[in-house]
Amino acid sequence: MIHRNLLLFRGARYLWWSLGLLVISGVLYATQGKVQPPNGGTWQGYVLGSIGAVLILWLTFLGVRKRRYNSTMGTVQGWTSAHVYLGTALLIIATLHAGFQVGWNLHTLAYVLMIVVIASGFFGLYSYLNHPGVISKNREGGSRAELFAELFELDRESRSLAQKCAPEVGIAVASSIERTTLGGGVYAQLFSGDESFFVRGAGSPVRNTDQQAVVDFVAERLPRAQKGIEAANLQQLIVLLCRRQAVLRRIRRDIRLRGWLKIWLYFHIPVTFALLFALTLHIVSTFVYW
Amino acid sequence: MEALLRELHEGPDGIPEYRDTEISGADLTIGSAADQRIQLLGRAVAPEHAVIRKSGSKLELSCRSGERVRVNGEPRSSSKLEIGDVIELAGHQLTIAEAPGGFDVAIELRPNENIDASEFESAFRTDLGQTWLSKRPAAWMLVAIVLIFGVVLPVSVIVMHHAQREVPAWVPGDDFWNSGPLSPAHQQAAGVRCDTCHQEPFVRVQDEACQSCHKTIHDHVSPEHLALTQLGPTQRCATCHREHNEPASFLVNSSDSMCIECHQDSTKKFAQLHVEPVTGFSAGHHPQFKARLLKPTVITAGSTFELEWKTEIADLDKAVEQSNIKFSHTQHLDPDRVLRRGDSKPLNCADCHSLEPDGEHFEPITMENRCAECHELTFDPGAPERQLPHGKPREVVLTLQDYFTRKFSDPNAGKPTRERRRLPGHDEEEQTCSGPPFECAMRSAHAEIENQFTRRGCVGCHVVVDTKSESDFDRFQVYPIRFARDYFPAGRFDHRSHQIQGKLTGDAACLSCHKAKESHDSKDLLLPAMGKCEECHGDRPKVERVAVQCVSCHSYHPQPTVAVEAPES
Repeated sequence: MIHRNLLLFRGARYLWWSLGLLVISGVLYATQGKVQPPNGGTWQGYVLGSIGAVLILWLTFLGVRKRRYNSTMGTVQGWTSAHVYLGTALLIIATLHAGFQVGWNLHTLAYVLMIVVIASGFFGLYSYLNHPGVISKNREGGSRAELFAELFELDRESRSLAQKCAPEVGIAVASSIERTTLGGGVYAQLFSGDESFFVRGAGSPVRNTDQQAVVDFVAERLPRAQKGIEAANLQQLIVLLCRRQAVLRRIRRDIRLRGWLKIWLYFHIPVTFALLFALTLHIVSTFVYW
Repeated sequence: MEALLRELHEGPDGIPEYRDTEISGADLTIGSAADQRIQLLGRAVAPEHAVIRKSGSKLELSCRSGERVRVNGEPRSSSKLEIGDVIELAGHQLTIAEAPGGFDVAIELRPNENIDASEFESAFRTDLGQTWLSKRPAAWMLVAIVLIFGVVLPVSVIVMHHAQREVPAWVPGDDFWNSGPLSPAHQQAAGVRCDTCHQEPFVRVQDEACQSCHKTIHDHVSPEHLALTQLGPTQRCATCHREHNEPASFLVNSSDSMCIECHQDSTKKFAQLHVEPVTGFSAGHHPQFKARLLKPTVITAGSTFELEWKTEIADLDKAVEQSNIKFSHTQHLDPDRVLRRGDSKPLNCADCHSLEPDGEHFEPITMENRCAECHELTFDPGAPERQLPHGKPREVVLTLQDYFTRKFSDPNAGKPTRERRRLPGHDEEEQTCSGPPFECAMRSAHAEIENQFTRRGCVGCHVVVDTKSESDFDRFQVYPIRFARDYFPAGRFDHRSHQIQGKLTGDAACLSCHKAKESHDSKDLLLPAMGKCEECHGDRPKVERVAVQCVSCHSYHPQPTVAVEAPES
């Protein structure tokens, strides 16, 4: 269970590191305020700011370490555990560095970017702790590729069988397969959008959300089947369509869960780069107008 | 277009097997999606990859934007197709064959046997990476925004300011680097021009920037005194005065620590200046109060003399007021002896002591503005309307001589007499003067002058010196009265905020510090010692103690009475 070990890595070693760092930061913060209000310009503020800046650089370095597969500098798992705990500590350290002073300026911009990065990180952590179990359960131990292979076979068998049925059934099933949507855009992936249609007899295509309409359409034909073979085919077709429906549900859910598992990275990473740049400017501008 | 698709597979025994499918429709679409006429799986196959159309009698292949296929081994995005041409896509081979009768085209498909149904996923967009979401462009975009607001605009505005060009107020410039609000006065003075104070990049704000406006401010230690110490150069203004912080009240550093830093070790640091060490406000940490008094020295010059007033610093327990006045607070505050004119109530402190607008000092008490209300300078009970002039001994002599001359020479005045005087040890009989009126007048005047200067009148309050001179004008000289205006010039004290002390108000509040009721002699200083302050104050917040800081009583910058701008040299 890799996700559990992330937080409990070596007895939550980095939790204690972070708490230690926070205690030091708290003491530094508390010793301010006599000469001037707590802010980034006192010597304690400079120390807190330096700790924060070093942490940001180190936290960013996780992205580099992850890609160095032959690195012996600690395990990626350990790095990630430290990344989570020290990243959380950074939120408090940077707040103490700022002395709770915010404004419409570059310095608060850097702070806000940092908050976005950390908040998206929290979301990511939640996703990594929660989603893999749900995803695994949804796939019932199989892989997504197996689900798609099953879907492909079901498509092929359904089409083949539908051709043996009445023409409108053939058209309905073929069109339902051709116009089945899966995934798609950001919204469709994250919220299981389903824009499936099928051609119901003569007329324009109708909605086929969750494939229920086509199953119903075929099922309605069953009592009217005149020959035994026709009824058997329809029955078989319904079974295939229902299996297809179940597979599609699993795939949709899988796409959704995987989407939520990854979406935070589209904030976490770009904003990290903006943060690095804003942090540099924050430091430089502070000394331009010392 | 009618097409025949022949799908070739190698059977289990190595013999090719085929399956024919008839396809009809305008276009022969090729892709991995389920709605494609020729559905080919594989990661390299787009959901809608290519299309074969009939153009006249020719066949044409065209790929979707960005897609490619190999036609006879050449990567192409479009191509005219001839019989025998081989189209390759993700390992699948499509060969254009001679069309049998009834068909426009025949295609032999040799699927890539290595691709199985699991690659059907590529027919759909199932990953966020396949959407418009992207990390790198988003990162660049955000960096660009930070760059514009954090560098481009500020630097542009700085350049424009240097070029003396107007910048519209709404344009965000280097004020985006502002780390916090300025105090309102500085905000008004500097506006959005950071370079008002930050005159040189990467150099801390220099005192010259502050002094370009604050021209009348003085250093804590004068340059002459500083040269006698080991203090080194004075601190930057910004050491104490920090801007861009909230709340703005922190603009003036009121911390004791900065004072104590130098003053705790004052015997070493201040060398010959003899500054007593201070580490707080309590006994043992702060020197006992010393009063600055005026001390008169008599300088005789022949029969006359002058008083030279010098200041003297004295410990409170030894300090003696030498104002030259004779005055008893006890008597004046005793309701059995003194009552106020008008309402006949006992005197209040405020009847004589009137606080100045600064709340610290009191208006000087003069004969005319305070004493004269009760103490008239009459000298003849028979002429209560006649009073002696105050503060001018020579005028007193002249007034008395004039008065008696008139009295003895006035034919309508009746028999000149000298009224009875009741003096201690004397019981003079009423005498008549039988000589010439002027002589009688001068004799009476002389007697009254002596009386006023030695027994009643002036001598009641003043120190009078009898020079034994023969001339009445030179004989008596009165010591002038002077008080120090400020006994503690290095300290500040707000009498107004001390007018109510807990449950004490009015005179009780005054008398709690100034023991006036017990003072019979004007030599008493009546100033409270530090212990009195400590009853209510300390340097640390405590229950029933009001914390005070160094700056509660002391100013860092010496404040002249009138701030005068130093002439430019």
